[in-house]
Amino acid sequence: MCAASASSSVPPDFIRTTTFRWTVAVAGMFAVYIILLFAVVYWRTERYLTARSDAVITMQAQTFASATPERRLVVIEEFLRQDPRMVQYAGLFTAEGQRLTGNLERLPSDLRIDGPAQRSLFPVGFAGAETQVVRGIARRLPNGNVLVIGRNVDEVREIAEIVGLTLALGLLPALCLSIAAGVILSIRAQRRVEEVNKRVQRIVAGDLRQRLPTRGVDDPFDKLAFVVNGMLENIEALIHEIAGVGDDIAHDLRTPLTRVRVRLERGRKHATTLEQLRAVVDQSIAGLDQSLAIITALLRIAEIEHTRRLDGFSQVPLAPLLHEVGDLYDPIAEDKHITLQVDVVAEAIVHGDRDLLFEAVANLVDNAVKFTPEGGRVELALFHRDGEATIRVKDTGPGIPEIEREAVTKRFYRSDKSRRTEGLGLGLSLVAAIVKLHSFRFTIASGPGCTAEIACRQAQ
Amino acid sequence: MPRLLLIEDDRETADEIRAELGEHGFDVEWAANGIEGLDMARSGAADAMIVDRLLPGMDGLTIIEALRFEGKRTPVLVLSALGAVDDRVRGLRAGGDDYLTKPFATAELIARIEALLRRPAESRDTIVQVGPLKLDLIARTAKRGDRTIELLPREFRLLEYMMRRKDQMLTRAMLLEEVWNYKFVPQTNLVDVHMGRLRRKVDQPHDPQMIHNVRGIGFILRAP
Repeated sequence: MCAASASSSVPPDFIRTTTFRWTVAVAGMFAVYIILLFAVVYWRTERYLTARSDAVITMQAQTFASATPERRLVVIEEFLRQDPRMVQYAGLFTAEGQRLTGNLERLPSDLRIDGPAQRSLFPVGFAGAETQVVRGIARRLPNGNVLVIGRNVDEVREIAEIVGLTLALGLLPALCLSIAAGVILSIRAQRRVEEVNKRVQRIVAGDLRQRLPTRGVDDPFDKLAFVVNGMLENIEALIHEIAGVGDDIAHDLRTPLTRVRVRLERGRKHATTLEQLRAVVDQSIAGLDQSLAIITALLRIAEIEHTRRLDGFSQVPLAPLLHEVGDLYDPIAEDKHITLQVDVVAEAIVHGDRDLLFEAVANLVDNAVKFTPEGGRVELALFHRDGEATIRVKDTGPGIPEIEREAVTKRFYRSDKSRRTEGLGLGLSLVAAIVKLHSFRFTIASGPGCTAEIACRQAQ
Repeated sequence: MPRLLLIEDDRETADEIRAELGEHGFDVEWAANGIEGLDMARSGAADAMIVDRLLPGMDGLTIIEALRFEGKRTPVLVLSALGAVDDRVRGLRAGGDDYLTKPFATAELIARIEALLRRPAESRDTIVQVGPLKLDLIARTAKRGDRTIELLPREFRLLEYMMRRKDQMLTRAMLLEEVWNYKFVPQTNLVDVHMGRLRRKVDQPHDPQMIHNVRGIGFILRAP
């Protein structure tokens, strides 16, 4: 009993929803409007009926007044006899108020003589024991008598009753229906929100595979859910990427660090001369430097990926940039007996960060020179294709198998064949990050050798 | 004996740096936080300063900005664990003269301090000379004694940089930053290859050596 009353004092959830409140508000406004409408209809009808019956009694009073006294008595009796519905009243009284004929016991006290038709209480029934609300009119005749004519206006009240009944019959179910609709809608919305809430809580708890429910219909709620689900997919992909990167970092840092550790341990145990110990320490420092270089490169990629330096962009002419890179790597290529050919057909100006673009191209050439065996050839070219300026670095190295092409632009990946060559495997990821920042396109194709291309939108 | 002021909050790092710099003939004062460091920088007569980027009390860059605002031009080397290119730019813009990312080789630190202390004065000379080596900046010609050396533009630039800093240790990173304006570390031994070519042109087999390779650290140009 106690529990029941406690729970009933808290309104159910659906009442607190916006949907429900709006429904109630709209239903309320609708009801007020309908009531006003009916009131106007009633008021106009009542006025019309009253005016009509006033006209009728005024005319009858006129007719009776103009008749001769003898004739008048006959006509009045005739008039009353022809009224089966008993809605007509007539009476003829002497100047002193004594009844001469008619169905009224007395002269109604509130009726003004010779005034216009008015609302009046007529004494009817035996000895005037009852009174009836009627429209009445009184006329003083030339001989001093008073003529009273009245008409029952119950019709108006009947109409009011009909109007009220109609109102009740129409309005109440409509109100009930709309409130019921509001309740159903708000419960449905409530359920959906609860479902979403549940899923979101699971997502917050770390279950990133959860998605918001959709119904496959094109309502705004579904559209919102689609947008949110798209966002969740991106987040999930990013989290996976980060987790993957974390593993890569752990692996690529642990490998050199483990080597350093083992080396130091062995050196400590086995070194017998200072020279031997120094050699061990030198190797260890090199190992540490390698780990540090990895961290630096990683931070660099992160810096580029999250850079907000787009406003630092300017017009960058690509031709001199390519020549500069060629100039930088020419001696290295020559030392390896590789031909480095710079083939710049036309100038192209792009909107970008010169240092970063230089870094990207230098990295591609660096890679190409590194992976091309002696006697090979590296081509660095700039040309126009389909309205885009394209930078191409082509080499005669081992190339990259198709299944590995996407992977090489990810951090840390190094194709197995190249494990023998020095390098941190971060070069291409760096290029990919720079290209992405510029909204250019980066593709790697493998024919014989490897072809890397950066397609750049040209500055307008 | 050159006097240095080191503002570094990590005691162990500071001890190592002081010991190492002390061995190389520097007199190092140490401040463990920014506020103390700024006071010492204002009152002391350090020839150069080493300032950590992130310090308790007051940020390293704020110290440099305050000193520069007061008109103190003491050269500053900024040390930082933040390695991003943008941080480097910020450090130099705040008034730092050089920027070194932690961790670093002590040889690199010493080379950079030496470079700061011996910064070449802005010279209007059109001829730079070290021993028999002569560079004509207008005619863009190089000669060793009577022998003309044919240099590519990039080699000319490198040689000019080294000659202006004769007898100074120039590390690979310094050369990359200053001569090639590189803001990243390439994976290949770019500097060595370029230096090798320059060296073959400057030091011919019968000449006494002028460009010296210091293993694991960098290069020095000396008069023979």
